[in-house]
Amino acid sequence: MNEMNSDGYTTADGRRIGGVLMEMKNITLRFGGVAAITDISFDIREGEIRAIIGPNGAGKSSMLNVISGFYIPQEGEVWFKGYKRGPMKPYQVARLGIARTFQNIALFDGMSVLDNIMTGRLTMMKSGLLGQAIWWGPAQGEETEHREKVEKIIDFLEIQPIRKTPVGRLPYGLKKRVELARALAAEPKLLLLDEPMAGMNVEEKEDMSRFILDVNDEFGTTIALIEHDMGVVMDISDRVVVMDYGKKIGDGTPDEVRKNQAVIDAYLGVAHD
Amino acid sequence: MPEQLLYAMEVTLNGLMAGVMYSLVALGFVLIFKASGIFNYAQGVLALFAALTLVGFQNGQVPFAHLLNAVFGTNLHEFGWHLPAVVAIVLTAVVMVLLAILVERFVLKHLVNQEPIILFMATIGLAYFLEGLGDLMWGADIKTLDVGLPQGISETVESVTDGIFGYGFFIDNLDIVATVVAALLVISLTLFSQYTKYGRALRAVADDHQAALSVGISLRFIWVLVWSIAGIVALVAGIMWGTKSGVQFSLSLIALKALPVLMLGGFTSIPGAIVGGLIIGVGEKLFEFLVGPWIGGATENWFAYVLALLFLVFRPQGLFGEKIIERV
Amino acid sequence: MPKDATKAGLQSIPALLARNADDWGQLPAFREKEFGIWQSWTWAETANEVRAIALGLMTLGIARGDHVAIIGRNRPALYWSMVAAQMCGAIPVPLYQDAVAEEMAYVLDHCGARFVVVGDQEQVDKVLEVQEQVKGIEHILYLDKRGMRKYDHSHMNALADIAAEGLAAHQRFEAELDKRTAELSYDHTCVMLYTSGTTGKPKGVVLSNRNIIETSKNSAEFDHLRRDDEVLAYLPMAWVGDFIFSVGQAMWTGFTVNCPENAATMMTDLREIGPTYFFAPPRVFEGQLTSVMIRMEDAGRFKKWLFDHYMDVARRVGPAILDGKPVSGTDRFRYWLGNILVYGPLKNTLGFSRVRVGYTAGEAIGPEIFDFYRALGINLKQLYGQTEASVFITQQPDGEVRSDTVGVPSPGVEVKIADNGEVFYRSPGTFVEYFRNAESTASTKDAEGWVATGDAGFFEEGTGHLRIIDRAKDVGKMADGSLFAPKYVENKLKFYPNILEAVVFGAGRNMCTAFINIDLTAVGNWAERNNIAYASYQELSQHPQVLETIAGHVEEVNRSIATDPMLSGCQIHRFLILHKELDADDGELTRTRKVRRNIIAEKFADLIDALYGGKDEIYTETEVTYEDGRKGSIKATLTIRDARVEPLQERIAAE
Repeated sequence: MNEMNSDGYTTADGRRIGGVLMEMKNITLRFGGVAAITDISFDIREGEIRAIIGPNGAGKSSMLNVISGFYIPQEGEVWFKGYKRGPMKPYQVARLGIARTFQNIALFDGMSVLDNIMTGRLTMMKSGLLGQAIWWGPAQGEETEHREKVEKIIDFLEIQPIRKTPVGRLPYGLKKRVELARALAAEPKLLLLDEPMAGMNVEEKEDMSRFILDVNDEFGTTIALIEHDMGVVMDISDRVVVMDYGKKIGDGTPDEVRKNQAVIDAYLGVAHD
Repeated sequence: MPEQLLYAMEVTLNGLMAGVMYSLVALGFVLIFKASGIFNYAQGVLALFAALTLVGFQNGQVPFAHLLNAVFGTNLHEFGWHLPAVVAIVLTAVVMVLLAILVERFVLKHLVNQEPIILFMATIGLAYFLEGLGDLMWGADIKTLDVGLPQGISETVESVTDGIFGYGFFIDNLDIVATVVAALLVISLTLFSQYTKYGRALRAVADDHQAALSVGISLRFIWVLVWSIAGIVALVAGIMWGTKSGVQFSLSLIALKALPVLMLGGFTSIPGAIVGGLIIGVGEKLFEFLVGPWIGGATENWFAYVLALLFLVFRPQGLFGEKIIERV
Repeated sequence: MPKDATKAGLQSIPALLARNADDWGQLPAFREKEFGIWQSWTWAETANEVRAIALGLMTLGIARGDHVAIIGRNRPALYWSMVAAQMCGAIPVPLYQDAVAEEMAYVLDHCGARFVVVGDQEQVDKVLEVQEQVKGIEHILYLDKRGMRKYDHSHMNALADIAAEGLAAHQRFEAELDKRTAELSYDHTCVMLYTSGTTGKPKGVVLSNRNIIETSKNSAEFDHLRRDDEVLAYLPMAWVGDFIFSVGQAMWTGFTVNCPENAATMMTDLREIGPTYFFAPPRVFEGQLTSVMIRMEDAGRFKKWLFDHYMDVARRVGPAILDGKPVSGTDRFRYWLGNILVYGPLKNTLGFSRVRVGYTAGEAIGPEIFDFYRALGINLKQLYGQTEASVFITQQPDGEVRSDTVGVPSPGVEVKIADNGEVFYRSPGTFVEYFRNAESTASTKDAEGWVATGDAGFFEEGTGHLRIIDRAKDVGKMADGSLFAPKYVENKLKFYPNILEAVVFGAGRNMCTAFINIDLTAVGNWAERNNIAYASYQELSQHPQVLETIAGHVEEVNRSIATDPMLSGCQIHRFLILHKELDADDGELTRTRKVRRNIIAEKFADLIDALYGGKDEIYTETEVTYEDGRKGSIKATLTIRDARVEPLQERIAAE
């Protein structure tokens, strides 16, 4: 669909970025009369770490919610894997291969870490209700198979010690990691991270950055993340969209964005929190 | 062993059995409350409706016979067959699932994100609607339900206890069956919710709607699932209570007995529903036996509610309910 | 089992491995929990894995006498790499994985390691960092491929890939490898272990095959270790104990070595494995007891009563039953009942249900702690040893176990006490030398083979058990000439769950003072239960109620010290609670968590001055090192407390 963009590029550290995975075309989102997002377009390429940054209230979260189907924009089009996406329910978006985490962490507090991550694989389990109900044949084998996948992720994110712990009892930083694990369990084409480093100390931020890079490297997952803190994000992203007051004010590599006057103004010049 | 103690033991046993019956009803409430935060007022009527449908199928009644006869001047009453109990139960279960789908389609779907009180009101409406529908479909007369469960006093228990204590316990066969069935039901529900993908999805929805959506769980499907399970639990409760005391309007009032059970056990705990039911069952029987004679009897009518009241005062979250700690 | 290893030709670890693979190849040798499941390797499989790694090392050009550094948490493949290195005629050098770069650089440079086998990316990064100073490293081999794709692989490989290359090239290297393996004798070096060094630079202790195998054989026989025993390998691989237990004794006896999933899952893994032979330093037992006690504080009234009641029974008769002493029938019945209700379930939660032989060493263990485990019916014993002895100097035989001694000389070990009280030993396990450090070798080991331990102690009359008082050089005198044994006092303080670490000062002074480190787990839990809010370790440490509690502990210790006329001068007059945890990263502790007294005294000189200067509080700034190596500083105002001291009845000067 987007032939002109299908060639991709190579990053500074030598990773090959592919064609367009998702494209947002002229998105406008209003709540009543208030415009949260005004006419924004950008794309996310296969294998890329794409950040959307902006000061508080810039409309980043709204944008993420549009991508994940929690909000349906009044205007504009969302293209995914070369197809225009109609209005969809969040769970349908999830089944397309788009997994996400939440700024305020949405985990199942009463369930163990393992069970939480297993829910990430729900959409991939094939056996029917009856088979599940009587826990027989394929259903059993399937459970084992999914458990193996989940264990790989547990190992990858180094959360073995808390495997059986109810999520409600975990500290904040670990919850964030479990949420990432659950999103990863869905083997998503596109992983959306809503302020993955919010509320973390320097060390936790560094851990999280490393995990994000490792996920991208190890599984080739395309990652879109939003952050209001420029620091760490600029180090790990390939390309950055900058939003302010619901509008796009910059888009490019971290270096390009850093030099962009509009971006500098938004962050330093005019404070509006 | 002193005779008084043996009596008390017998009373306790009977209380336990009665408690199981309460638990069965409470279970349906808990399931729906956990998954959707709805206090389902219609749970009792659901049991009545299930029992009515079961009897109707078994006896080959023509549904809506009165209505059809009145409108079309026909004279339909029965198909003239008797279905085996098992077939009738399966068919009724299918009806309960259909009912769950309809409830979701016509009620819940339109009330997404509404206040709990609105949803509660909706279930009150649903209760009246189902009550009327049951009458309309199967007639308002009192029916007897017999799916072949053993009834009467268990002679085995009587002779065995007679052999041991020199005093035969009177235990109802139906109560024994009910206990076994309830135990199986709870075990399978627990296994289902712990170890299957749908069980996990169910718990996920109960925990956090937004997160459930993000992992691709369809809330509507889960609601249908929960109401289906609640419907089937209602069917089991309907069979037990219907066999015991006939299928009639008062069957829907067993819901009132479930209320104190829920206060005791907590609205969100399956084990709570079981233990709560047992405590109320034993409590009211023992109280009647020990204290009743002193205060003129008939304590069974109010004991459960007083106990529930005490719990509301001293342990509002119930025995097993989640303690709600508001952190500032 | 062959009685004389020499005659049977079992003169090296590879030879033992070959015997095990031949004689009981199908029995489990190693297990490791990975991806939530215990993976297992038989002796035959282990022999194959080790051989493949050895062939892989041959393809890299490993030479006789090369040093191969091993860095990482306990994992089968790392143990295999050590044996593989031995097969090639090289010497394995396991390192502490959490050592700071400086320390690692020193050791890698000192031994001149050509190859380094590491666990994962983190350690690869560390070695790469070190490589800027240490030029001898030719090749890094890593186990975990994660995150390694982007690295320059010209001098780096996954161990599995190298092993595969080795197998592919087996025809080229087999003959040479077999020749080198066959050469190995008792006099070849088995392993080189660096002592963490309470002072100065680490020293490379060279242990021969004779040292390791003779010691393993003797100690295995002493405790009747069996082929079906299970151990959990969780202590640092660089520590001599782990080498003896997980390699020496495991290979000699043929028992199974289990590796935990990672450090944090150790307690769960311990429970799942239920080892029959278990070693832990006192702090592990302390930590477990603390967590049991905390859980009991939170338990319901009935449960707590049950626990208290049956623990009383256990304390009274448990140790006697364990030692096979006569106990009345009623008490036996009570103990039996307690075992069903309390001890059994408790041991199960702790992972000690199956422990047949348990050891603790390294530090003195609190008598209450020691007795607690003995009372539960766990055969916990003490041993005394050091790297230079291949662990064993003395150990407690079954039935002669007490918390205040370290037992009788181990089989084959001679022990003598010098005139100044210092303990000397000589044994088949006595080390060959300190690597490239003839001076230290000479000052530690004399011509007759006697080794100075640096510890002061004496043999108890009647029982022949050794009792250790303190480090020989730490036992000092106070200004008035009375005996100053800081460790003795510190250990008494550390027996309180609230106190994690204590440092006592007083040499050459007129009174003793102390730094206290609170235990965040225990005190934090207490604070939570009492609704005491705190924002940081520092704030909690200075909370008035915490100070009050600690003062209570200090005074209790004073009372107990006062009963011993020799040491009554060591009562603590004033103390303060430190605003930071003493940390190996800051150089305040050794890697084995022993207090580095002099460094602390130097670093916190202002605090010591304040203690002796009579101030009520002191403002201080301290430099700290974060885990990633960055430095920062913390500021605090510390309260100084006086503690009540018991009157001295009769002062006896030392000596």
